[in-house]
Amino acid sequence: MKELSLILQFVQQILPAIWITLLISVISIGIGTIFGFLLAWGKMSRLKSVRWLTSIYVSVIRATPAIIMIFIVYYGLPFLFKGWFHLNIEGWQRMYFVIIALTLLFSAPVAEIMRSAYLAVPKGQQEAGLLVGMTKFQVFYRILLPQAFVIALPNFANSVINLLKEGALTFTIGVVDMVAKAQMIVSNNSGGFAFETYGALALIYWVISLAIDKFVSSAEKAYRRKRQTIDGSREAV
Amino acid sequence: MSLDTAFMGQVFKLTLQGVPVTLKIVLVALIISLPIGFLFALIRIYQVKVLSPLVRLYVSFVRGTPIIAQILIVYSAFPSFLAQFIGKTAFNIDPIIYAYIVFALNSVATLTEVFRSALQTVDKGQLEAGLLVGMTPAQTFLRVILPQALISALPNITNTTLYLIKNSSLAFIMSVKDITAVAKTQAAFSYNFLEAYLVVWVYYLVIAYVAEFLFSTLTHYFSRYLVAEPNKNWFQRLFSFRQPNTAVTNTQAKRAQFIAKEVNHVNN
Repeated sequence: MKELSLILQFVQQILPAIWITLLISVISIGIGTIFGFLLAWGKMSRLKSVRWLTSIYVSVIRATPAIIMIFIVYYGLPFLFKGWFHLNIEGWQRMYFVIIALTLLFSAPVAEIMRSAYLAVPKGQQEAGLLVGMTKFQVFYRILLPQAFVIALPNFANSVINLLKEGALTFTIGVVDMVAKAQMIVSNNSGGFAFETYGALALIYWVISLAIDKFVSSAEKAYRRKRQTIDGSREAV
Repeated sequence: MSLDTAFMGQVFKLTLQGVPVTLKIVLVALIISLPIGFLFALIRIYQVKVLSPLVRLYVSFVRGTPIIAQILIVYSAFPSFLAQFIGKTAFNIDPIIYAYIVFALNSVATLTEVFRSALQTVDKGQLEAGLLVGMTPAQTFLRVILPQALISALPNITNTTLYLIKNSSLAFIMSVKDITAVAKTQAAFSYNFLEAYLVVWVYYLVIAYVAEFLFSTLTHYFSRYLVAEPNKNWFQRLFSFRQPNTAVTNTQAKRAQFIAKEVNHVNN
């Protein structure tokens, strides 16, 4: 029982730093999704060169460890800016570098997810849409996108949780997020209660992941409930 | 604006010492976690009492928490935990042991899900057919179900290995002298961090691509008699990563349902 109250106490101490984690994740998800969409588009482009470039980009990113990505963006971006635009961006908030790194990391799996979801929608759907006189954009927006969206949801949730976990490496370049806070607490206690502190940290992440999982699966269910086949029966899931 | 290429060459040579360490972590973790993950998957599928919910909780915990938190927990808790049994020698253990433990514990969770979904994709009719020709359930499992399940698990095992390779870059936090750690210390001497990390990046890309290529050859070899896979050239093989897909997909489930229906139809 004493352990439990200790963990709860550490949770309370770590929790204020949660907004940094959430802020970084939300912005990276937002930009990364748009970027991933463009990449998915590029991967299905008619131009061979575009297809090659996007394929190489996606696979290189997927083979890159998160921490190396963060370090390279953190040290490489100021270097590039200095060389190309003669700008000094070393004074930027460190959070920006993490957001850029996570966006790059997030866009690759998202591009793959979007592409496979798009391809999973039967081709007849598109033909039917065109046949009734919709424009290409209308077909995409009204027929393909809603169906691809549901197909992509579970994998998308997986990627979001992965992003959240990779975001825990923010502390390596000196942003005070939850991990850094936990480390501070441990060093304030001169190394004592390390297990309880890091346990509290893991607990917070666990709850967030479970919440994302629950939210997405219930959203998926609600979305599927609305969809009915032509004879009125509900679509088999 | 120029990179210190001389320094990069020097780091390139020095980090070579770290490569075996990284590979060792990946291989040992994989070898430990494959059988345990398989066992856990069986526990989940056969719904073994008490154990099954525990495994589920474990998998959910490991998949829901960042690996850095797991590293910190194991690295901070294990030495004092071990010290209760073997005394002070616990604090002199080579840190690479902790790396093995963390990464094995981490992969066990992913592999449990991988094997579980793989075993579930095998159609039920296969089991029935095996029993029908007079095999015992154990025989059917070993000779009919398992080979098919392992083949469908291979792409996901590839993915787990890639994650393992990427995650092993965090071993430096446990003061293991892997690729990242060696480059980090080199960079700290002269503040050439960018050069050092670019070299490390190249190393990880090479390792990941070699692993991917080996696994894809393996998958190709084992699934040669299955479905006619479209022939991929070397470029497509290298640059087409598979989706991380631990859940049974809709199409797989539908195919299984379809086959089950067909079998029923034939039976009647």
